Amino acid sequence: MTMISEKTGGIALLQGNESIARGALEAGVTFCAGYPGNPSSEIIETLAKAAKDLPIYVEWSVNEKVAFEAATAASYAGCRALASMKQNGVNVISDFLLNMTMSGTNGGLVLITCDDPAGISSTNEEDARLFARMGGIPLLEPATAQEAIEMTKWAFELSEAIKNVVILRSVSRLSHTRSSVQTGLITLSDAQPFFDTSKPYHTFPVVAKHEARNQKLDQAREIFETSHFNTYEGPEAPELLVISSGCPWNYAAEAVELMELGEKVGLLKIGTTWPLPVRLLEKYLKISDKIMFLEEVEPFLEDNVKSLAAQLGHRVGVKTYYGKMSGAVPSCGELTPGLVMKIFSDIFHLPGNTGTYKDEIDTMIADKLPVREFGFCPGCPHRASFYAIKTALAWDDRNGFVSGDIGCYTMGIWPTGFNQVKSVHAMGSGSGLACGYGKLERFGFDQPVITVCGDSTFFHAGIPGLVNAKFNGADIFLIILDNSATAMTGFQPHPGTGITAMGDVTEPVLIENICRSIGADVEVTDPYELKETAERIYRLMKKTGPRVLILRRKCALVQGREGGFPFNMHVDPNKCIGEDCGCGRYCTRIFRCPGLIWNSITGKSEIDRVICAGCGICVDICPQNAIIREGKVE
Amino acid sequence: MIVQTSQGQTRLINEVINNGLCVRCGACAGFCPYFDYIDGKIIPLAPCCSDTARCFQICPLAEHGEKNESDESGIGDYRKIFAARSTDPEIVSRAQYGGVVSTLMIYALEKGEIKAAVLTSRGNGSSPAGFLAESRGDILSCSGSEYTGSGGLSALNRALKAGKDMLGIVGLPCQMEAVRRMSMVEFSGENLSAPISLKIALFCTWALDHRAFDDFLVKNMDGGKIIKYDIPPPPSEKLVVQTLKRKMEYPLSDIRPFIQQGCLLCEDMTGETADLSVGTLEGSKSWNTLIVRTQRGEDLLAGAVKQGLLEVAEFPDENFNHLMEASENKRNRGRKRRIEKNK
Repeated sequence: MTMISEKTGGIALLQGNESIARGALEAGVTFCAGYPGNPSSEIIETLAKAAKDLPIYVEWSVNEKVAFEAATAASYAGCRALASMKQNGVNVISDFLLNMTMSGTNGGLVLITCDDPAGISSTNEEDARLFARMGGIPLLEPATAQEAIEMTKWAFELSEAIKNVVILRSVSRLSHTRSSVQTGLITLSDAQPFFDTSKPYHTFPVVAKHEARNQKLDQAREIFETSHFNTYEGPEAPELLVISSGCPWNYAAEAVELMELGEKVGLLKIGTTWPLPVRLLEKYLKISDKIMFLEEVEPFLEDNVKSLAAQLGHRVGVKTYYGKMSGAVPSCGELTPGLVMKIFSDIFHLPGNTGTYKDEIDTMIADKLPVREFGFCPGCPHRASFYAIKTALAWDDRNGFVSGDIGCYTMGIWPTGFNQVKSVHAMGSGSGLACGYGKLERFGFDQPVITVCGDSTFFHAGIPGLVNAKFNGADIFLIILDNSATAMTGFQPHPGTGITAMGDVTEPVLIENICRSIGADVEVTDPYELKETAERIYRLMKKTGPRVLILRRKCALVQGREGGFPFNMHVDPNKCIGEDCGCGRYCTRIFRCPGLIWNSITGKSEIDRVICAGCGICVDICPQNAIIREGKVE
Repeated sequence: MIVQTSQGQTRLINEVINNGLCVRCGACAGFCPYFDYIDGKIIPLAPCCSDTARCFQICPLAEHGEKNESDESGIGDYRKIFAARSTDPEIVSRAQYGGVVSTLMIYALEKGEIKAAVLTSRGNGSSPAGFLAESRGDILSCSGSEYTGSGGLSALNRALKAGKDMLGIVGLPCQMEAVRRMSMVEFSGENLSAPISLKIALFCTWALDHRAFDDFLVKNMDGGKIIKYDIPPPPSEKLVVQTLKRKMEYPLSDIRPFIQQGCLLCEDMTGETADLSVGTLEGSKSWNTLIVRTQRGEDLLAGAVKQGLLEVAEFPDENFNHLMEASENKRNRGRKRRIEKNK
């Protein structure tokens, strides 16, 4: 029994994502699905653990769209259901989302998006809130872990009240911050799933359904007018009214306190950010002539409040606005308390706060910490794979390049992957782009293209590209970097791993069988065999038509958990020639596994015994045979 | 003379490889992880940092102050010149012409003059590559000419790295030049060419860029395994490709675009620094021209003739004049082009 599945409430130290999971359990959720992606992954993981103690169903789906569709089906059958994902996932579900919102729901349905301002672990920092507006969907933004519990719980009630999906938006800092919370009682649902065939779900007639959806939005707006998630704190007539939502509200409150601006600044926290509660905003817009918006990524509140103010016209009067449009607030990236203090300093002309905390820290530690770049772990099969790819592309010498995809191997754009990857965007886009490159030959394009895609990514969105290549005769060479895990997000299982989110054993879906049935030539090899892998890639580059090379080797961290690697490594200093001609510090300068270190005093390479995993592949890159692997003694 | 090894990979890449002058002799490959030879091409794999890099020093196309053009004339220094042919029916059946090179190498190996021979084989696929031959069978498997850059010296480097010595080597004039440059470089206190006991040069007018020529053959040939290439002496003006099924002939004017640009700067047709140089004998399909240049070469030949492995004959005057003229022409053309290039 984990703290999350404890049926009675109490004080608990929970991460934001755990709070969201707890809120869902308190609401009596029965069906949960998602696709892993930072910063959202712990929501499904937490619920999957709770499923051991509670009668709920939790799954990692093949992708976000399927997750949300599955959750929606549960809602249609009367269950409370949840789907969770990162911001990019909302793009994946968007087609279904913008249709299903026209036909409505039955059991409470909550879509959780965890956005990643500054793209800390993402390819972009998009603001998924815009989908709420596009789809006419109520949007809630918790600012604290406590609110995450309460808002999630309430979101199911709201969904059932208006019979439509509700979006709850978290961000990295909330999802991953741990705080003390008061939990409530867990409700066990006794709903008997039933699909009422007299109430079909579809979007026809479109205009009528659209109108109905808008009415639901009006209904939500009315509920929001009195929601306790919207609060005001500050003087009756502040010099500056700050309108904010989510984490930035915390930063604003902290800045006001530290800078002792409580008599000048009023803080209006909006927890129900779409649709905006009109009467509430009218009331507060009237109390100040200066309005500031603090929110992360897009000027969502800013645009919508300004639009509302224009509509309200003389009733609220002319304002001076401070936000992303005025330039007072940065238009991209994360906000921080320090940054908000700097913004206040500028507006109130206060001295001494020109730099942010981060700037000060950066200055203090500038020359005291070594520069660290992104890197593959010691023993990571991706390092071996990119080493082989780099070698094969060089041998081929026709300006070939790698079209990338989403996963740990995205780091192939950096030195750790020998800078091999030349484009990365969305899940599955590697194979889609390959379809285009693969048809350019008729216009004189003669560069070979290798597309890399992870195992989980292949299942998620990589398959259609391969099918398309077969269908249209595109010359595609897909390398599937199969590390047998959704490694980047924390080793979640996927269809190929033979285990489900709830720990049930399932028959694995075999990538090679899928590829062969599509009609591709398929080969499988172990990327740890560096030379053989490079030779295979080189040979396959010369072929034409759809071909797939599966480079299969478990994620190094998973191998570590399953008993570790077989070798103890050391460098023979008598054989190592260091910087001399014939080597030139090849292992630490070119191969760059963090387990290898350069001793500038002895002029020899060494193994960092703390970091080295013992995979043994560096033996094959040392030109002097100076790196020695010995079997571990059991 | 000991040349300081202080100029390395960057100059080799910039001045030779990226300048399109690499003749794929293989001298820079097989020794370090920064260069590979594969399918007729030298491939730089990663940036080297060593300030003692030898690759540029030993490259036959590198111009680093060390004298490049020979001050020889004609066919260079030599002691004797013969028409020669093998008497071994197995060798003759596989030979390009007279089987002299295979015979001499097998004789040197079996007599213990060398322990292994660095040769050029057809490679695993269809591409020529360096090969370390350690038996009669190994040597026979390498008989026949290739006409494209072959990276053969990468096999020498691998052998040196493995600590082999008493090596024989068969190579083109550019490869002989690389070996000569190796003899002037001291590396870790050792003369790089010291383990080389015997050098046999093959006459060469030019060689083709393997990948470009291969593309041409793919487009202009209906498949089949190639068993022999030949460019018969003038005035034939054609390249003959013999496959298992048929014989194809291509006018040299179709082939010349694939000549390695570095070959056009070469002034040495016969391999003037070798112990022995071997080529075709104009007007004959079963004899070779054999130039003896050193005492070692002379001794080896004498032994082979004494054992009846080789038959030698007086070299006809007319052939000698043609050989001198062809050799001088190549030298003059190369010298002229080099002067133009350096203008």
